[in-house]
Amino acid sequence: MNPVTASITCTNLTLRFPVYGVDAKSLKKALARVTVGGVLGRHAGVTDVTALSGVNLELKAGDRLGLIGHNGSGKTTLLRALSGAYEPDEGTIDVHGRIAPLLDLSLGIDASATGYENIRLRGRIAGLSSREIEAKMDEIADFTGLGPFLAMPVKTYSAGMKGRLAFAAATAVETDVLLMDEWIAVGDSEFQQVAHKRLLSLVERAGILVLATHEVSLLKLYCNKVMRLDGGVASEVVDIRRLDELLAR
Amino acid sequence: MDSSTHLLRIGQRGARFQLMMALRDLRGSFQRIGLAWSLAWHDIGSRYRGSILGPFWITLSMGLMVLGIGFLYAGLFHIPIETYLPYVALGIVFFGVLTGTINEGCETFVQASGMLSQTSLPMFTFVWRVMFRNLINLAHHMVIVVAVLVIFGFWRKANVPAAAIGIVLMLVNAAWLSMLAGIASARFRDIPQIVQSIMQFAIFMTPVFWLPDLRLGAHRAVLEANPFYHLLTAVRSPLLGQTVPEHTYGVLALMALLGWLFTFSLFARTRRRIVHYL
Repeated sequence: MNPVTASITCTNLTLRFPVYGVDAKSLKKALARVTVGGVLGRHAGVTDVTALSGVNLELKAGDRLGLIGHNGSGKTTLLRALSGAYEPDEGTIDVHGRIAPLLDLSLGIDASATGYENIRLRGRIAGLSSREIEAKMDEIADFTGLGPFLAMPVKTYSAGMKGRLAFAAATAVETDVLLMDEWIAVGDSEFQQVAHKRLLSLVERAGILVLATHEVSLLKLYCNKVMRLDGGVASEVVDIRRLDELLAR
Repeated sequence: MDSSTHLLRIGQRGARFQLMMALRDLRGSFQRIGLAWSLAWHDIGSRYRGSILGPFWITLSMGLMVLGIGFLYAGLFHIPIETYLPYVALGIVFFGVLTGTINEGCETFVQASGMLSQTSLPMFTFVWRVMFRNLINLAHHMVIVVAVLVIFGFWRKANVPAAAIGIVLMLVNAAWLSMLAGIASARFRDIPQIVQSIMQFAIFMTPVFWLPDLRLGAHRAVLEANPFYHLLTAVRSPLLGQTVPEHTYGVLALMALLGWLFTFSLFARTRRRIVHYL
């Protein structure tokens, strides 16, 4: 595969989405709404949330961006938008490079399947052929450090073990853009160290890392830039050295 | 540029743009059709993990059902077993494809929520996943079909090409029904129950177990108005050496066309919202 110069560009990215409450998911209520001519609770259960408004972001190869902000400030939404899952209502998202989303552990993880099967499944989702996966299998298996457990169903794993599996499988793929939410903190200190090395090598390969977290220590460890989100509004991207300044706002 | 290394999302509206994006989704799913296939095999694998017979369990249970119903009802209805058993066997197997694809269609997007909310995988991939899964099941059931046709001597007069056309028409129609059920179920959680009830009702309203008597007027109108009757007839009749009424092909082609037009436009409209429904 040709090497790609990774880049992320978001221009005036605005994302609104309807949140469907229990009421809105009921067909009866929706029908009642239609038949009563929309008088009966026009907004019953559907709330429009502006998750991101006018976010501008420009990242180039080698950037490691930390996203900070309170719960519900739009960090995860931004990551999901960058992964291509959410489409913008306004503005554009332009991402060059192969994207590896590490947003939640459940992606392609089938709890009743074994670790090996899950690695295969995840590899297929990431776009590898079966042959490519088999070629990498030993390396991935080795990296998880799970040894014989890989032949067991994932439902018997602890959260840390699941984290190892998902992280190993996701980063085994040649990635240019790694999107991570919080949970990198899973796994024991030994795993943290290997994971750390792998993340650094990714960045050395001129990749981009976007990491959402509340942990200042993680930010300082992995990121060279930070951006703060507040109610979907983004601050400018600043150097990690100005983190305290950004936190204090 | 390789679509896997470049992601461009534009916040734009309008019917034309949405239609274009829906077509792009469809194209993307064909480019990665192997993924749908892998997911389908994975599903089959997980369903029968640890069982000795694997997917042949469904073949076995269906074979026993065919035998039981075949013998009992042939006696009850006073129909010779060599006519009735093949008839009911094919009926159960092929109606099973319809029930399977449509009922499982409800889960198409709900089941895939984890993947849909953090990747840019085409939505159609998951529609094909359900279709492939049911095709794999059908392939196992073909054992019954072939056995019955050979044992009762129908293989000599079976019109296989016509049956193949019938299967294609059945699958094309089942696919849009399945996708429609998937979109609707993602939005409204009542839909799976409704769909299940409809399919349960349909199996009794459609001549799966009973033989239609086309002499009766009102009875015939009910049959002709039942799309499942046409779907089943197009596959079953040729295999039993009977001719398919010409209008059945007309009905099925029209149904496929209108059904896909409707489902695809609905998909174009809701595509970017489906992930938020989940």
